[in-house]
Amino acid sequence: MATSAALERAPRKPMSAQLKAGLLITSVIVLLGLLAPWISPHPWDTISIKTRFLPPSTTYWLGTDDFGRDVFSRLLMGTRLSLAMGISATLISLAIGVPIGLAAGYFRGRTDELLMRSADVLMAVPPIMLGLLVLAVTPPAIWKTAVAVGLVYVPPIARVTRSVTLSIVTEDFVQAARARAEGPAWILFREILPNAWPALIVEASLRVTYAILLGSALSFLGLGAQPPSSDWGLMIAEARAFIDTAPWIALSPGIAMCLLVVGINLIGDGARERLDPRLKTRTAKG
Amino acid sequence: MARYILRRLLSVALVLVAVSILVFAVTSILPANVAYLILGQFADPAQVKVLEAKLGLNDPIWQQYLRWAWAIVQGNLGESMLMNRPIAPLLFEAISRSLVLASVSFVLIAVIGIGLGVAAALRHGRPLDHGVSVGTYLGIAVPEFFWAIVVILIFASWLGWLPSSGYEPLATGFWIWLQHLIAPTITLVFAHLAHVSRLTRSSMIEVLQSPYVTAARAKGLPERIVVMRHALRNALLPTITVLALDFGRLMGGIVVIETVFAYPGLGRLIVFSIQNRDLPTLQASILVVAAIYAIANLLADLAYAWLNPRIRYDRSIA
Amino acid sequence: MLSIDDLSVRYRTASGEVEALTGISLAVPRGSTLALVGESGSGKSTVALAAMGLLPQEAYCPSGRIDFDGRDMMQMAPAERRALRGRRIGLVFQDPFSVLNPSLRIGDQVAEGLIQHRGATPAAAAERAVELLDEVGIRNPRAVAQAYPHELSGGMRQRALIAGALAPEPDLLILDEPTTALDVTIEAQILELLETLRARRGLTMLFISHNLGVVRRIADRVAVMYAGQVVETGPTAEVLRAPLHPYAKGLIAAIPRLGLRQERLASIPGRLPDLRRLPQGCRFEARCPFADAACGEPQALGTAGDASSREARCHLAASQASTPWPIEAASDPVERRQAGAAPVLEIDSLVRRFTIGRGRLRFDRGWPRFDKLSITAVDSVSLTVRPGEVLGLVGESGSGKTTLGRIALRLIEPDSGRILVDGEPIVGLPQAALEPMRRKAQIVFQNPDSSLNPRKTVLELIGRPIERFGLAPSGEIPTRVRALLDLVRLPAHYAHRYPHQMSGGEKQRVGIARALATEPRFIVCDEPVSALDVSVQAAIVNLLADLRDRLQVAYLFISHDIAVVAHLADRIAVMNQGRIVEIDETERITRSPSHPYTARLIAAVPRIDGMAGDASR
Repeated sequence: MATSAALERAPRKPMSAQLKAGLLITSVIVLLGLLAPWISPHPWDTISIKTRFLPPSTTYWLGTDDFGRDVFSRLLMGTRLSLAMGISATLISLAIGVPIGLAAGYFRGRTDELLMRSADVLMAVPPIMLGLLVLAVTPPAIWKTAVAVGLVYVPPIARVTRSVTLSIVTEDFVQAARARAEGPAWILFREILPNAWPALIVEASLRVTYAILLGSALSFLGLGAQPPSSDWGLMIAEARAFIDTAPWIALSPGIAMCLLVVGINLIGDGARERLDPRLKTRTAKG
Repeated sequence: MARYILRRLLSVALVLVAVSILVFAVTSILPANVAYLILGQFADPAQVKVLEAKLGLNDPIWQQYLRWAWAIVQGNLGESMLMNRPIAPLLFEAISRSLVLASVSFVLIAVIGIGLGVAAALRHGRPLDHGVSVGTYLGIAVPEFFWAIVVILIFASWLGWLPSSGYEPLATGFWIWLQHLIAPTITLVFAHLAHVSRLTRSSMIEVLQSPYVTAARAKGLPERIVVMRHALRNALLPTITVLALDFGRLMGGIVVIETVFAYPGLGRLIVFSIQNRDLPTLQASILVVAAIYAIANLLADLAYAWLNPRIRYDRSIA
Repeated sequence: MLSIDDLSVRYRTASGEVEALTGISLAVPRGSTLALVGESGSGKSTVALAAMGLLPQEAYCPSGRIDFDGRDMMQMAPAERRALRGRRIGLVFQDPFSVLNPSLRIGDQVAEGLIQHRGATPAAAAERAVELLDEVGIRNPRAVAQAYPHELSGGMRQRALIAGALAPEPDLLILDEPTTALDVTIEAQILELLETLRARRGLTMLFISHNLGVVRRIADRVAVMYAGQVVETGPTAEVLRAPLHPYAKGLIAAIPRLGLRQERLASIPGRLPDLRRLPQGCRFEARCPFADAACGEPQALGTAGDASSREARCHLAASQASTPWPIEAASDPVERRQAGAAPVLEIDSLVRRFTIGRGRLRFDRGWPRFDKLSITAVDSVSLTVRPGEVLGLVGESGSGKTTLGRIALRLIEPDSGRILVDGEPIVGLPQAALEPMRRKAQIVFQNPDSSLNPRKTVLELIGRPIERFGLAPSGEIPTRVRALLDLVRLPAHYAHRYPHQMSGGEKQRVGIARALATEPRFIVCDEPVSALDVSVQAAIVNLLADLRDRLQVAYLFISHDIAVVAHLADRIAVMNQGRIVEIDETERITRSPSHPYTARLIAAVPRIDGMAGDASR
């Protein structure tokens, strides 16, 4: 119903509550993680037999674990690991997956067939198993986990990029670019990609959460971070044995992960809602 | 339609071949020497050489691959290095247990997920919708192993209703077999519900706003018929796709769940084989997983094609 | 039968309340047909939704009655209204494809209304559905009843929709743009069908359309709507012959008439008022050439003209009754055609096929091979375009005209044939070598929403071709862009706008400016005005005519609308199923076409003046 006059003066949409909440939660967590070495109330790796298994109190906000270490401090340090895992893995999968998707969507034909069949093969195995496969053949280290997770998520990113590219390629302005003798590089990076990256950003934010979850699962199974690291997955694995007597050791990292994932997802959903209506806007015929 | 089925079967076969190559390739890069693994770290180098020759480890990679692949096609999945037993029966037993777990969870996820999704879409924007969204969201926001631990904490430790781990075969008794199944199932269902319910919800909302639903209302049809007959059919199509995807996620999930609940299925077998560097078992397991997943996808594609008249009926009238 | 009295409808949106309808009063007497005419944003579809009680949740009615057969629908309980829908009021929508449920068979969808409203058994309803499909002119109705929507053509789907709406035997039929999405020959058939059905069943119809020619054919009375108000009503023939309200005058003057050689079309400057902030007085005042001081007062719908059956919402209606809408004079005519000059575009025996599926499996020298099922989109087409000339390319959907246009620029590759641009062959060259050709030959696209990159400013959009071909040093590009904006009559400050900040007509002007940026010798205009409202169409058509005169650029003007093409083109080529069936001077083709398909095409065009092709009136 909006007329063109209205579109001219359309104010910037205010951020939805969803988006604001997501940004708030996530930035708080990120900030805590970044400042962890300086704001931790206690050292995260000092072993102390006297203080084992203390429940949450004013000194130890989230209690202590089986080695007497402060759970809260370890949690803060673990934040950095989870964030690093999520972001680096996603960056790897974007760096490899986006160009593949663009090429498949634009060139179609044999290139597309080949790339997508390869993606199909990699997606034929559930991600965690693929990650296990890759990590099985080499001694574990957290950077290897990040790389493995990144590689595992290349095919889905490529697929999403391809479908976004396909929908953009049919637009007339791409034909207009061909009509002025633009080469494929220009068309892909100056015409298509600028229109694709809003959708990709949304997908990427989702992937960060998947990467965090997958990374923690691999650490839980012993194929990621190694002791005495305070990676959240590892913390939960170590705390399993004491779940009856000292549940706070396992629950804290879980809740922290929940908050982080929810925060990032809210950002992703909020971003998607902002971007979509504009993409779908069709103006009045006047 | 028949042509479609044939094409899909062919591509499944090709994918499995490609996966087998992938699996074999990845595991062949390993630095640790298989022979040393068998004979132990301090074995006599001469004996190691003999074993290597016997196992064919000095042949070019592609020959090793073909030997292995040929054996698999004949049904011989190799021997587990850890347990010195043929893998096939081991795997079969483990798979059947995992499939029970996965199937029950899958059915529950599908039924509850679709139900919640449709209900939320019909009460779009109202408290039920928000409640469902938030509730299911928690399920996917946290890794499954965490929920597994929480379930154990609540149901086994605090309430004492369920055993915290293990497995009893059906032969021991139906109820006790079921008891061991409940906790892992609850965990899996809770951890995956949101994928299905969210998609069903958004698909349903979209369909309810489509022109043909408005047209159905314009015909004066009661809302009940509009939803059940017109909207649901079309809204469920994307759900089938996501269910297939979720089956894959479920299979990934059982790896961790079985580990936490000490449920002796395929997931636990895979973890054990990794921890003990039992490569043949690992290779065979992953291949089998890929096969199961591929078949599940095939079934989903067939269901989709059958339900979507555009694919099923490809004749043109005028 | 249906009487709407002082109906107002408002929508609550995120950016304020939109007043979609204000004080609408209409009457559709039993057995007659009332047409509701207006452009997009006029509110005509909202009237249909309101009459059916199908307004969305965000809408509410601050005032009004909707009387159906004596009872006020607004006062009814929802269940009662629902009982009326379908049973006594039927609705036929615009786009037959999206309105049919893709997962249900046609027969089931037609029979639904019967089972629901007349209590028929499924078997009886199914039989009746087949009868109805036959009545609406579908051949082989039994087979069609078993088919799914995607298997039918557009015309057949629309017939099926009409059958479905008629199944419960309603008294009133509301049709919302029922033929807009159809080809003109199919449209003629559907209109004929509606006329037959109306006579046979005594239907009352409320017919909504933006196409005045269609309205002339089918409606007894017409109500013209603008910005949510009814601005004129009266018997159709009279209103179209001698409109009273300025907007109606402008609208009718903007339509190209087949067979009438006009120099320029009238256009209506300005745009619709913002429906959230409507002016107090006449809503059309800002765009009206007759406006005076009294127009600031709210205008009432009053009888005007000699007959009491005519009303207009304008205090000047009576005094200005015989004043036509002003048409600006054309710029000085320039000698356009250079006789004997070499053609800018020459196409010879162009062929292009598309594979649409796989046929049977055969064995070809031992190798398994699938037969290819293909359609020949362009079947050995030859034509030439001379410098400064406009060659119109007319055809219905599926005729291959768009494909031909794209092949001429090698945006789609031909299978065989020759193409010469300015005497240079361009087939057989790799895409990279086509650069010089791309400067000389450009294209304007149909859909204004799709032809401009949403992430670029107008400056970037128009400046890029200049930059790409090195036609000016980078410092000078903004000046060039401003000159081009001036050429297409857009203000210079638009250079910093993004596409979503402009209207459809403005975006098309940017598309034209972009095409002109490379100083081309000829431009392929691919349905450039088909996606625009009539009043905006006229302005763009005038612009294209001016540019042709001033810049001596030739056009290959592709359209399905033969009236628009005839207005602009020197020669017309008629395409049907990939072949050119006739190509000749515009005058001759429109007056006395030689090929039967051309004759059928021209006869099918609904005329405002009720002339040829409209024997019933």
